[in-house]
Amino acid sequence: MMNFDAAGREACSVNLSITNTPLQAMNLLNDPQFVEAARALGERMMEEADPTPEARITHGTRLLLGRAPSDVELNVFLSGYRDYLQAFTDNPAAAEDFVSVGQSRPNPDLPVPELAACAAVASVLLNLDETVTKE
Amino acid sequence: MTMTKSSSSPQPLSDARLLMNRRYFFGKTATGIGSLALGSLLSRDLPGAEADFLGDLGTIAPKAKRVIYLFQSGAPSQLDLFDYKPKLADHYDEDLPDSIRQGQRLTGMTSGQARFPVAPSTFQFQQHGNSGAWISELMPNVAGIADKLCFVKSMHTEAINHDPAITFFQTGSQIAGRPSVGSWLSYGLGKENEDLPAFVAMTSTGTGRPGGQPLYDRLWGSGFLPTTHQGVKLRGVGDPVLYLNDPAGIDRKLRRRMLDDIAAVNQQKLADFGDPEIATRIAQYELAYRMQTSVPELTDLTTEPEATFDAYGPESKKRGTYANNCILARRLAESGVRFVQLFHMGWDQHKSLPKQIEGQAYDTDQATAALIQDLEDRGMLDETLIIWGGEFGRTVYSQGTLTETNYGRDHHPRCFTLFLAGGGIRPGMTFGATDDFSYNITENPVHVHDLHATLLHLLGIDHEKLTYRFQGRYFRLTDVHGHVVKDILA
Repeated sequence: MMNFDAAGREACSVNLSITNTPLQAMNLLNDPQFVEAARALGERMMEEADPTPEARITHGTRLLLGRAPSDVELNVFLSGYRDYLQAFTDNPAAAEDFVSVGQSRPNPDLPVPELAACAAVASVLLNLDETVTKE
Repeated sequence: MTMTKSSSSPQPLSDARLLMNRRYFFGKTATGIGSLALGSLLSRDLPGAEADFLGDLGTIAPKAKRVIYLFQSGAPSQLDLFDYKPKLADHYDEDLPDSIRQGQRLTGMTSGQARFPVAPSTFQFQQHGNSGAWISELMPNVAGIADKLCFVKSMHTEAINHDPAITFFQTGSQIAGRPSVGSWLSYGLGKENEDLPAFVAMTSTGTGRPGGQPLYDRLWGSGFLPTTHQGVKLRGVGDPVLYLNDPAGIDRKLRRRMLDDIAAVNQQKLADFGDPEIATRIAQYELAYRMQTSVPELTDLTTEPEATFDAYGPESKKRGTYANNCILARRLAESGVRFVQLFHMGWDQHKSLPKQIEGQAYDTDQATAALIQDLEDRGMLDETLIIWGGEFGRTVYSQGTLTETNYGRDHHPRCFTLFLAGGGIRPGMTFGATDDFSYNITENPVHVHDLHATLLHLLGIDHEKLTYRFQGRYFRLTDVHGHVVKDILA
């Protein structure tokens, strides 16, 4: 929590300080804990939604933001998803590496390049300002 | 990615003004009475909503481009380092005269003492350089560069305990919540290097007194300024920056693609809500991407020649030491980081001062002198302002039992010594003086606000003009105080 400037608990904090550093961006993007969480979210997107990219992305957005994505957002996520899927299909080893981050094992029934692409979308979702910030 | 310019433009202030203000906010949202009400609800939560800059920064020619602030946390004893008081030897173990103490406030740690016995320093002093600066044997390397330094012996502050005092030095207020001096500079001057933060902080632990006063992240925070101006702390243990590497399976191209998607959606949110903190988030993600390349280069000290480590001393190869941080500070300054601040802990010598302070001096003396010399050798000293000092001074009377060889010193806000060098500072001078007990200032007092005003002046900023509107008031680093100390300017 130090990267997020959480209260040190040595003394009472009446208000959390507003904080937003590049260190936090790296934490949320690259920390194995968050990479693993993104993959787990990707698994839920595949397991719980209809097997279309639109439905999976919409489900992931609902889980995190409590709302469906706007058309503009959905288009961004879809175009991203296609690029990620292409990259992971071209490089299956990278897909395997990406879904293997963390201690839990991915669902072996899910095709790895698709899961990696969903996990990448989930990582994007987990890093949105709206996800991270309490307004 | 137009919004990333808000943090990287050469004119961050005018950008901040353009980015968001109340009129713009209501103009965007007031499409109906409902949304107007929503707007007024939301605006209270928008820290930058009232951002408004008063005007230009004045017409002062900058002397320094950047600052390296070597903060000595815990409060070094001026009596044992720089403020030579030979007459004290005649008053050994006598009670501090009431005419000197004048009933002034003491901390709860010594106010109950039956006696206040005068404790002369056990360390030898000599004059050094053409300037004849008095420096104790604890600081032989600093003594060697005495003619490059400007000693201010008449610093004083309003706080008597560590946290309020260090918060006062950092923010101009004893109460936490105001922007720190580095974030004010980032706000006022922007960045020199797009690949690194404008403000970097590093901490180190003292060997004289490990387990000193804690430091809080808010000391390099941005308070009510946009968080893009917040200091970024490099860690002294393990990786300087955590999670610097992309996860397995994600190459740079894929990372770039993901960041573009994050930015595109955040950008949409920014357009809808106008919250400047979203702009900051976008900018910080971009900076993180660039830091993934710039930080490993910067913190890789294997490229330093052996001569560097010889100069900065035996501790300089150990990660997380003050000496190691001094080398990093030089590299950050070379890379164009505007404000580098080191915090060296452990200067709080309430007891066993003679033993503890030797460790503290060992930690800092050689590397401090080496840093100043190094900057001069590289032709950077005249554009880099160096400040060395703590949050207050220490008492002439002993805290606890006084013996010939041992004593402690309590907190003393009424006078202490700080030294400056480089960027626009007059070298080889001593400014201000204290009485024979180093208890009260006898000439040219310099308040913390005065130091801040002088620091901003050297960077080309009129401290009365660098303001930020928050909660209906234009705030300044120097509050409603502060005078530039013209006598110490080159």
